[in-house]
Amino acid sequence: MKLNRPARNPHSETIIALIDVVFFLLVFFMLIGRMDATAPFDVRPATADTGRDMPSGGITLAVSATGDLALDGKAIPRDALSPALSALLADDPDLRLRINAHRTAELRNVLPLVAQGEALGFRDVVLVVTPETDG
Amino acid sequence: MMINRPARPRALISLVPMIDVMLILLVFFMVTSTYLNLDMIPAVKPSEGAPIGRPQAPAGTLMIRLGADGIPVLRGTALDAETLQATLSAAVAEEPLTQVVVLPSGAAQTQALITVMDRAALAGVTRLRVLRLEAAP
Repeated sequence: MKLNRPARNPHSETIIALIDVVFFLLVFFMLIGRMDATAPFDVRPATADTGRDMPSGGITLAVSATGDLALDGKAIPRDALSPALSALLADDPDLRLRINAHRTAELRNVLPLVAQGEALGFRDVVLVVTPETDG
Repeated sequence: MMINRPARPRALISLVPMIDVMLILLVFFMVTSTYLNLDMIPAVKPSEGAPIGRPQAPAGTLMIRLGADGIPVLRGTALDAETLQATLSAAVAEEPLTQVVVLPSGAAQTQALITVMDRAALAGVTRLRVLRLEAAP
């Protein structure tokens, strides 16, 4: 006697479960991630407990431990910084300037950037910090 | 006479391309995103319009010198972070409008200045200025 194997369910039902998992993963990574341009050098911001949440938007000026600069992920010499910032500020006068300095960067390489941004007309200049001690 | 239209076979939409697109999006966001928790401390406040040195209020002013070694010095005494916070808390409790001025050395590290600003904020200091010395022309 030969028993007929019952017909399998259509495979679309199992695919729907896979879609759900992938969709949840997609939303998860979209929520917890931040799509910032990363600097071409290592930047570990200083740690602080009283930092405020940083909204998205603005431009990021990264400062390496040795004083190298990167504007929105692209290395830039100090001489070319003012024209680049001025051009960006002309497009958006309320642009936020985020200075993401490495925690061991000397202040002689960081504080002049604050003054430079202020002199160019940036009304919102912030220093990037992290609450994570091992960040 | 009513003619019954033959029932159409149920159209099936293939879900495989959708999975492909979502997987590509998932990999894209996983690779391009950064996951470091970042906060910000304002360096230029809109209220900082008045130049430094102009007397704004009769409140006291504390000047913290930040040496090249990153140790804050208040009234000639080197302090650690906890002592600095306690001192600033006592000053703010006595005079809430106490102004704190930080004069950092150019050779000090960024972490040292952020630590002083952090401790001042924890102590309740609302008027904090960071002096920036500029070289003479």
